[in-house]
Amino acid sequence: MMRSIRIPADRVGTIIGKDGEVKKLLERLSGIKISVDTEGEVVFDDGIEGTDPLKSLQLLDVIKAIGRGFNPHKATRLFEDDEFLEVMDLKDAVGDRVNQLARVRGRLIGRGGRTREIIEELTGCNMSVYGNTVCLIGNSVSLPVARHAVELLVNGSEHATVYHYLESQRPRLRISEMGFDL
Amino acid sequence: MATAQKWGIANIYASYNNIMITLTDVTGAETLAKVTGGMVVKQAKDESSPYAAQRAAEKIAEVAAEKDIMGVHVKVRAPGGNKSTSPGPGAQAAIRALARAGLKIGRIEDVTPIPHDGTKKKGGRRGRRV
Repeated sequence: MMRSIRIPADRVGTIIGKDGEVKKLLERLSGIKISVDTEGEVVFDDGIEGTDPLKSLQLLDVIKAIGRGFNPHKATRLFEDDEFLEVMDLKDAVGDRVNQLARVRGRLIGRGGRTREIIEELTGCNMSVYGNTVCLIGNSVSLPVARHAVELLVNGSEHATVYHYLESQRPRLRISEMGFDL
Repeated sequence: MATAQKWGIANIYASYNNIMITLTDVTGAETLAKVTGGMVVKQAKDESSPYAAQRAAEKIAEVAAEKDIMGVHVKVRAPGGNKSTSPGPGAQAAIRALARAGLKIGRIEDVTPIPHDGTKKKGGRRGRRV
């Protein structure tokens, strides 16, 4: 079956990469041939005999992640087990006003990317704020924590509160990192 | 074990609050088994977790083995309509668990209902406020 997915036109260059490097990397990791056109239409065929159906599902997520602003190396994390992509639309939580959207985006990123950095460091997730969406890549334990932190910020919590929350979750995340289930 | 090489369909409905896996025969009309998030975990907040999905898929695989089903086609579904169109984190975990349990995975299809423009999404002009 052919699957197609649209990504923003200004992410086409990223998904192809210099001399098609990134595209080749994705094809190698998934074992599926991809074609990208200049308008951002990404098409691949997973009906060919011998393709791993799970990989094609993951490839869909990886392409979506790159389209949502992640750099390809972070996005390829999604090929691993227990790594998920979460896309949150800011418009759902903030409304349509451009000023408000810009304000909340700023709150999420922080000065010089400080807030984003802290969320990434303390949870081990990767975060990308692109257009009107916030995307997170992380495992099943850290992702809910990061999502909650983002929700708090979007709903107007002070940054200090959010950092405290992240710190409080730290021991729990550490335990699960060491391989114990909750 | 019979030698019949039967296929089934695993309908996976993964929302952000729950997961529901229904195993049917290839026609989709005859339900063989159904497992939801609430049947495999204790806490309500865990119903949509990948862990719940994994447990549910294992249960489904057990029944499938009983009924001589060797592989399943998968139909993944998110809430859809004017709600989220991307499946929750449980979907992938469920498919992986089905594969781990020894079932062959055939086609994976996305059957999320997509509106050709329908009703307004809930939340209002100023977005969802908590």
